[in-house]
Amino acid sequence: MKASLAQASSAIIQVRDLEKYYSPGVPVLYDLSFAIEPGEVFGIVGHSGAGKSTLLRCFNGLETYQGGSVRVMGREVGTLSEAGIKELRRELGMIFQNFSLMSRKNVFENVAFPLRVWKMPPEAIRERVMELLDMVGLADRAQERIQNLSGGQKQRIGIARAMALNPKILLCDEATSALDPNTTISILELLRDINQRLGITVVVVTHQMEVVKRICHRMLLLDNGRAQALGLAEELFLSPPPSLKRFVEEDFTLIPGGVNIRLVFPREISQQAVITGMVRKLDIDFSIVGGRLDRYRDDVLGFLIINVRHADFDNVVNYLKANHMLWEVLNDGA
Amino acid sequence: MARELLKATLETLYMVGLSTFFSMVIGFGIAVVLIITGPRGLRPNAPVYRVLDVVVNLLRSFPFIILMIALIPLTSLLVGTPIGSTAAMVPLTVAAAPFMARLIEGSLLEVDPDVVEAARSFGASDAQIIFRVLLKEALPAIILNTAVLAIALIGYSAMAGAIGGGGLGAFAYNYGYLRFKTDMMLYAVILLIVIVQGVQSLGNYLYRKLR
Repeated sequence: MKASLAQASSAIIQVRDLEKYYSPGVPVLYDLSFAIEPGEVFGIVGHSGAGKSTLLRCFNGLETYQGGSVRVMGREVGTLSEAGIKELRRELGMIFQNFSLMSRKNVFENVAFPLRVWKMPPEAIRERVMELLDMVGLADRAQERIQNLSGGQKQRIGIARAMALNPKILLCDEATSALDPNTTISILELLRDINQRLGITVVVVTHQMEVVKRICHRMLLLDNGRAQALGLAEELFLSPPPSLKRFVEEDFTLIPGGVNIRLVFPREISQQAVITGMVRKLDIDFSIVGGRLDRYRDDVLGFLIINVRHADFDNVVNYLKANHMLWEVLNDGA
Repeated sequence: MARELLKATLETLYMVGLSTFFSMVIGFGIAVVLIITGPRGLRPNAPVYRVLDVVVNLLRSFPFIILMIALIPLTSLLVGTPIGSTAAMVPLTVAAAPFMARLIEGSLLEVDPDVVEAARSFGASDAQIIFRVLLKEALPAIILNTAVLAIALIGYSAMAGAIGGGGLGAFAYNYGYLRFKTDMMLYAVILLIVIVQGVQSLGNYLYRKLR
């Protein structure tokens, strides 16, 4: 957390000592400090009720806060006038879990709505809407009624609407929670594409670890309105602090006896056959307790829990160190 | 006699049509204030909301026949006379506006609050939210509720007929009840049934079309 404070000057969203409560003594958000850098995909992760959607809404003034500071593009959100808030919102697109589209407007009119709110000329609106629909791959559905679209298509329209005013930041509130796994992936790819191609900062609120793994550079773990972990997403997943562990790992039943070692495969090593190499070089036997490989953004990373004999432990550790493996002893099985 | 029946029909349509229109306008205004100042509104304001809430309930609890008589001074002031179809529109509107306000408030409350939040998220003003989101999304329900109100007003207008408002209600009363011309009364009742059916069908049609 200290590292992010040091980068305060470059941050696009800077949160300091943020506190929010609905009634005194019952904090919803408590003592939050972190920074979101321009151009990154930042994940805010937690169980439902952890306060993550509330935190997201503090960024564009849909929620107020009682203590601390939220600076978005240099502007303190809590002190902005009504006009100032509107100007800020113009630069912050937002998409929602249940899409929040207007059922009586067709696809075109839903995407055009923000442009009409800001009184753009009709010709420019037409052009921009078609451009946006093209971006989300639904240009041929412009005149379709919202209720005739699938969930994934609705969220694409939501994204097109959020992008209408050329925002600098895209806020995503559980944007894929109502979608099936395949649709989730295609929506995440679209968000990633928007982030990479247009350089737009994306803030993702989610309880789905899949989402974080797929698109987030860094993440903040929130529990009961408090920050539990903050850092690079893959690092947090590969060697999770205790607070994150129950989020990311199923419990493996450890083998009694011997030493259980959790090996982490960072990106450089994941393709190489480190484990079989170790077995051949050290001439030892080991048991596999469990493990998993996951796709993080563009890499395949993972961990493996193995059980070795006490007698081999020192050799194994030396080998792992020599090969720059990350590891930890889960328990002394004895 | 047919001409008198026609005249009475037109009087009913005139009274009900215009009172429906006026109560829609006034009711919409009240409903918007209720929605804005309500507990979950855009600008919650408990004192304004409570006062308006009580006034609406108060007006709605008056029996129409009493309201009609109580409003005679106001009617004379506005129309110049307390008698006739035009005069009858004053108590009809006063009785119907709070009713309409409640119906419209209910329709507006049905609009998904997430959609309102989305509109706020890209910078829509309160006025834009009221007219372009709430009213737009609630329009089919408001139209269906207007049909309910218009039909209630047809019933009220028959009562207004009793104190000189004219219309089919008065026709049925004068010819059928006072002069024992059962056939005349029957014609008037049949016409009322046709009008009620017509209004409801029109409401349903517009609802389906707009939805």
